[in-house]
Amino acid sequence: MSVDSEPQAPQQAEQGDAGAAFGVTARLRLLIAERPILVLLVVLALLIALTGAIEPRYLSLRGLRNTLLLAAPMGIMAAGQTVLMLTRGIDLSVAMVATAAAYVVGFQAGAGVGTALLLGLLTGAALGAVNGIGVGVFRVHPLIMTLAMSSILLGLFSQWAQTVLLGATSVDPFVRLLGAGAFLGNLLPYNTLVWAGVAVVLIVGLRSSGLGRMIYALGDNPVATRLAGVREWQVLIVVYALSGFFAALAGVLIAGQTGAVDLRLAQEFLLPSIAAAVIGGTSLFGGMGSYSGTILGALILSVLNTMMVFLNAPQALRQVVFGGIVIALAWLYAAATRDR
Amino acid sequence: MTTATDERATSPATTPGARLQRWLRRHGWTIGVWLLLLAFILWYATLIPAFGEFQIASIARNSLPTVYLALAQSVVVIAGGIDLGIGALMVLANSASALLMEDQSFAMTLVIAVGVVLGAAFLNALVGLVIAVSEIPDVVVTLGMLFVYSGLALLVLPSPGGGTSPGLRFLFTGSETGVGTNYWMPILMLALPTALLAWWMTRSRRGLSLYAIGSDLGAAYLSGVSIRRAKVVSYAVAGGFAGLAGIALTTLANSGDPRFINALNALLASLAAVVLGGIVLGGGVGSVVGAVAAGIILFTLNPILTAMGIDPNTTQVVRGVLIVLVMMVAGLLEWRRRRAE
Repeated sequence: MSVDSEPQAPQQAEQGDAGAAFGVTARLRLLIAERPILVLLVVLALLIALTGAIEPRYLSLRGLRNTLLLAAPMGIMAAGQTVLMLTRGIDLSVAMVATAAAYVVGFQAGAGVGTALLLGLLTGAALGAVNGIGVGVFRVHPLIMTLAMSSILLGLFSQWAQTVLLGATSVDPFVRLLGAGAFLGNLLPYNTLVWAGVAVVLIVGLRSSGLGRMIYALGDNPVATRLAGVREWQVLIVVYALSGFFAALAGVLIAGQTGAVDLRLAQEFLLPSIAAAVIGGTSLFGGMGSYSGTILGALILSVLNTMMVFLNAPQALRQVVFGGIVIALAWLYAAATRDR
Repeated sequence: MTTATDERATSPATTPGARLQRWLRRHGWTIGVWLLLLAFILWYATLIPAFGEFQIASIARNSLPTVYLALAQSVVVIAGGIDLGIGALMVLANSASALLMEDQSFAMTLVIAVGVVLGAAFLNALVGLVIAVSEIPDVVVTLGMLFVYSGLALLVLPSPGGGTSPGLRFLFTGSETGVGTNYWMPILMLALPTALLAWWMTRSRRGLSLYAIGSDLGAAYLSGVSIRRAKVVSYAVAGGFAGLAGIALTTLANSGDPRFINALNALLASLAAVVLGGIVLGGGVGSVVGAVAAGIILFTLNPILTAMGIDPNTTQVVRGVLIVLVMMVAGLLEWRRRRAE
């Protein structure tokens, strides 16, 4: 299935050379493999400094606040993606699920903001669970399942946006505060507070809960996990529902930031949600990675985004750069961790 | 596993009856998909008051991009990969060709078309090279390329526009205006590339090497297949067909459309066509001929649903639901087959 099983005869010769000259490259390799967080922190610091050099005004508390403001929805969306990648899955429907949840919150505004938020998040989790049923029970390839889900949602909401959802584009003041407001003298955004909550739950949950261990086990070796008595499909439904839930949460925060809901609300967040997890060292092929890496990945992408805005780069160019980064980093990680 | 040669060696069929049986067994799925397509077209014919040359021409012409893309994805999937960037590459080819071809003569547009196809093949060959050299999974690299290609498309052509020459439109659609009853030209454009690719995949050494690496990488390596070269070739061929799909799109619409959503929809259609066409994700099994019928079926859903009085947005929903249902059945069948083994 993967190229991993390819015979590596020619490769071994190269590695012999590298072993003989145990120098800077070999050490760097080890560092990336053993302490990815450290390397990512250095990269983040360098990027912040570089952005500051391009635009000195950025190196202020306001500038850093704006970085957090953008990183939070990215990071939350990437949370679902990280958990899925740990089980060898992926979710290409996050952008449309986020948009759907934002529409639901707007549509249910009359029922009170608490109920509306709850319904929005439940919608996300339910849509995710449908993805999970497709992948876990019916064995549909995750890419096809989530792409199809995205296409179905786009069709549904394109239609509803012109009919029943005409009045659902406005955003409740509380959601607006949550998405764009800040406290502590206007420095710490509320959405970062939400993100911090997600981060604590995920980091602790993945490390010490039974489900967390099952997620890693399933990605690392599905056959052994199945033989150990884990019901694969149940775990998959839960993780896809989680991904839908996080996407919905991110969608609400994005709507709070933009102030209005439309069909392309979260479209620009699809790539960063995957890229953040890949940058953070989570393998698309399961079992390896952590949410702390993804957090740094989201921060790095947010800083990069700000830098490119300062450089007047169009959105399309940012897309090209982010796509390139995903490939380059995946290559780097593969090279660093291969011969262990 | 599915190559023609080993079965011939193990089961020497002597009687015509046995030969027919074996032929049916080997091509059963492909024949089934073509019969399904026939059923769909017959169903469509009963839904509308007059079914004739115009409808045949319309179906043949409008399914060109989906079919080319299905062929592109087939080649990569048979060789054991998966190309998530293929839809975006089509959009890039569509945008670039529409921009370059506007107000050009027929000869010039023909040169541009060849250039775009070769360019797309070259770009995707580089993708295959990165995958082969880095040994990182196809999914990761091509997912990155999905965004790189669609970003490039938006850089080339920021908003829908551009054009092409009437001559080139005739070449692909059988009509200089994009509407008409000439069906033999688009059918030729469907059949010729398909026949060439099918012949190349099953009769040439290089084509068979794609089946070999998709079926068993280790065995292919041990029997002397250059894995890197086969990988690069599979992506290059796919890129060429994606370029062709982009140009078909340009001639159909007489313009380019760089929007990201087109790339995603095209990718979904290509994956669905491949699986419905009987090509197993994972590689080594299936025929590009089946994927062609599946591609036409996926397109034919649109006019059928329209004839039933369903609006375009609901059509997209129904199409998505049908794709999921087909995938669910295929997924269960594949799972059961694997458990039985």
